[in-house]
Order: sequence, then C-alpha cells, then structure tokens
Amino acid sequence: MASVKFNDNWVGRLKNEDAEVRDSALDELREFLIRGLSRSLNNHYGNRKFNPEDIVQDALIKILDKIDTFEHRSRFTTWAMTIATRVGISELRRRHCQDLSLEGISGDESLRIELPDTEQQPAGQAMDRQVVLQRLRELIESALSAKQKFAIRGLLEGLPIEVIADRTDSNRNAVYKLVHDARVKLKEGFQQSGMAAEDITAILAGGE
Amino acid sequence: MALSNDQIDSLIGMVTSVASDELDCDGCFGRIAEFAEYHLASKEIPEAMKVVQRHLEQCLCCKDEFNALMKGLEAIDSD
Ligand SMILES: [Zn+2]
Repeated sequence: MASVKFNDNWVGRLKNEDAEVRDSALDELREFLIRGLSRSLNNHYGNRKFNPEDIVQDALIKILDKIDTFEHRSRFTTWAMTIATRVGISELRRRHCQDLSLEGISGDESLRIELPDTEQQPAGQAMDRQVVLQRLRELIESALSAKQKFAIRGLLEGLPIEVIADRTDSNRNAVYKLVHDARVKLKEGFQQSGMAAEDITAILAGGE
Repeated sequence: MALSNDQIDSLIGMVTSVASDELDCDGCFGRIAEFAEYHLASKEIPEAMKVVQRHLEQCLCCKDEFNALMKGLEAIDSD
C-alpha cells in the first residue's frame, strides 16, 4: 500500500473550467464534510455547541487553497477531512480552554521538583531514584529556558500544545519543537552523567 | 507548585523516549491522511509510517484530532 496512488477525480472536478462541474463537486464535498464532522466533533470537548456548516465553510477555503499539495496518498475525501477536523477541533479547543488559568504554572516554579525524603525509605532503589531526580533537577535548571519549562509544565498539566501556543504567542509546531529540543537536552545531559535512557527507565520501574 | 510524582514520571518518559527522527506536528499532519487509510483498511502500518504512530503517542493535540478523524470517517463508511 506504500506506493498506492488514490486516483479519484476530485481535484479535476474542483478545478474544472466548467463552473457547474466545480460547484457540484464543491456541494458534494461540503455535504461529505458536514456529515463527517457532525459525527466526529459531536460530544467533543464537553459537548460544546458547534455549527458544522460554519466550520466546513472555513475548511473548504483551506482545502481549495492547499489543493495543489494533495499527493493522492489517500482518498481525496480522507485528506479533506483531515483539514476539516483540524479546523473544527482547533476552534472547539480554543473555546474549551479560553477560561483556563495558567498562572499557577508560570515563572521559576514551573518545573520544580521536590526530592522525596529518602531517610524513611530503604537504601537501594529509592536511592537510585533520588539520584535520577537530583540530576533531572540540575539539568532543568542549567539546560532549559523559561519558555521550555513553561511549555513542558503545560503539557504535564494536560493542556493541548495548541493552547500553550496561543498563550505564548507562538504556534503549535514551534511549541512542539521547543519541547522536543528540551527533551533532547535533558536526555543528553543524563547521558553525559553516564545515565542512559534504558538505565533510567529500569531504575524507575524497579522503584515502584 | 512542585511537580507530582506522576508528572515527574511522565517527564522522565518524555525524556527517555525522545528520538532524533521524530515528526513534528506539521510533519505528522502531512502524513495523517495516508496513515488513516491504513487504519480504515485494517492494514498493518508499514515501518516508514511508524513515525506517525510515535508522534501520536507523544502529542495530545494530534492524537485527539486523529481520533476525531477516524470517528468521522468510520461513521461515514458505515452509513
Ligand atoms: Zn502533534
């Protein structure tokens, strides 16, 4: 299936010289997307009221705008639905999260790690965990920027990346990259201290 | 407020699982329709598409959108 090309004729119809052909394809696509979104976004984000027709209208503009980037690696309708779904969920997500306060997770405290009191615990595994956490704490302070700490804390609080991006005047892909770079820095920091990822995973699994 | 133990474990999971060939959100979005076709056809995900799977495991936003996408497409298929 890797090399399969999906050759439906949607692109030809949507870009047809004949306005009647174009309009009829557009109506058909609109109806398909409304049907899909009515099911997929129903009950999403706490059953927020949404009007699929408005979302589809915005999505159609994006779809037509990007139509030349469609590579026939899926059915056209599947590709179009990915765009419409993203438009719809982004909108619902923004409405759902607009009242959330991020105040409690900003500033220097955003990735604070309190080390557990090991005096009450048996030596060995608990101690190993202590060493990992101590190193993690040092690496967070020395290697991460305030933005990286804030973004990671947001994710750990269960916030969607898109919401973190909105609140930091950034965009979703930039936030993903920011967090990815932070993860790489922390991983490399551990490696430089002689702690490989597998060792850390084993230590933490053993400590449970 | 300090991180909870669960959050610390999640953070360490994010660190130990990071891979150099990870897709970002745009990269994932660019391949998600193709990925969805494998799911809709109940076909095995080829090795080259596993980066998409790994991104979905890391990214709440993309995962959420993929789940909604599948819900919509499956509902249409079964009409
Ligand atoms: Zn993503």
